[in-house]
Amino acid sequence: MATEVLWWIFAAIVVGTSLGVVFSRSVIHSAIFLIGSLASVGAMYVFLNVEFLALVQFLIYGGAVTVLILLALMLTRMGAGGRLERANGPQAPFALLVGGGLMAVLIGVAVRTAWPNNTSDTPRAISINQVSNGLFVDYGAPFVLASALLLVALIGAIILARQEDE
Amino acid sequence: MVPLENYLALSAIVFSLGVYGVLARRNAVLILMSVELMLNAVSMNFIAFAAYLDPTRVTGAIFAVFVITVAAAEVGLALAIVIRLYRNRQTSNVDEAATLKW
Repeated sequence: MATEVLWWIFAAIVVGTSLGVVFSRSVIHSAIFLIGSLASVGAMYVFLNVEFLALVQFLIYGGAVTVLILLALMLTRMGAGGRLERANGPQAPFALLVGGGLMAVLIGVAVRTAWPNNTSDTPRAISINQVSNGLFVDYGAPFVLASALLLVALIGAIILARQEDE
Repeated sequence: MVPLENYLALSAIVFSLGVYGVLARRNAVLILMSVELMLNAVSMNFIAFAAYLDPTRVTGAIFAVFVITVAAAEVGLALAIVIRLYRNRQTSNVDEAATLKW
């Protein structure tokens, strides 16, 4: 029962901070809201009993990705100086329509479908042992491919962002 | 414990907010943040399905790890492109970089 109350609190935090990300007028505020949203999704992973992924979520998303985004904001808004500019394009009402429609359809499908084996008791804990077995034994080839992807992306990012003397 | 539908509805809400952000925002970094929201909703869905419908295997968690990897690569590349765009055009708004638009 206490877990359930906690779940609803964290779900409210996820929804609230995500609303902040897409509706906030200031870019920096959006980035701060994004940290909250990613961290509370990490809390959802704790509720789902996958502690390893919660840790990864906090470290990579809450730490690295948001710092990267804040740095890019800093580099691309040197002249702005805290001045707010128009954040949404003229297509925003249609975007609201599309997003709202998609939300209604997705929630309707999720609630109406009769999921098999839906026990609704506490999910089984997934240990870090099982995750590493899956990652390095069963899915070894995709793991190597993912590391190659990361390497190529990093080299590409360096080449793109490099200062050229012309 | 809460049923599976709660997780699905929660991630549907977050995903739709991300779709709205991608479509409505002008700043490229804000669009990227909305994409992050969508990716997060998807990996939460993966893990919820794995935990409730197939609890003996870890495939959902592995998929989420790969989603996080691809998201990291995507953020690095996209931010490099945004910085490049800003250096060439002094803007990071996508509607002002419309040379390719007919």
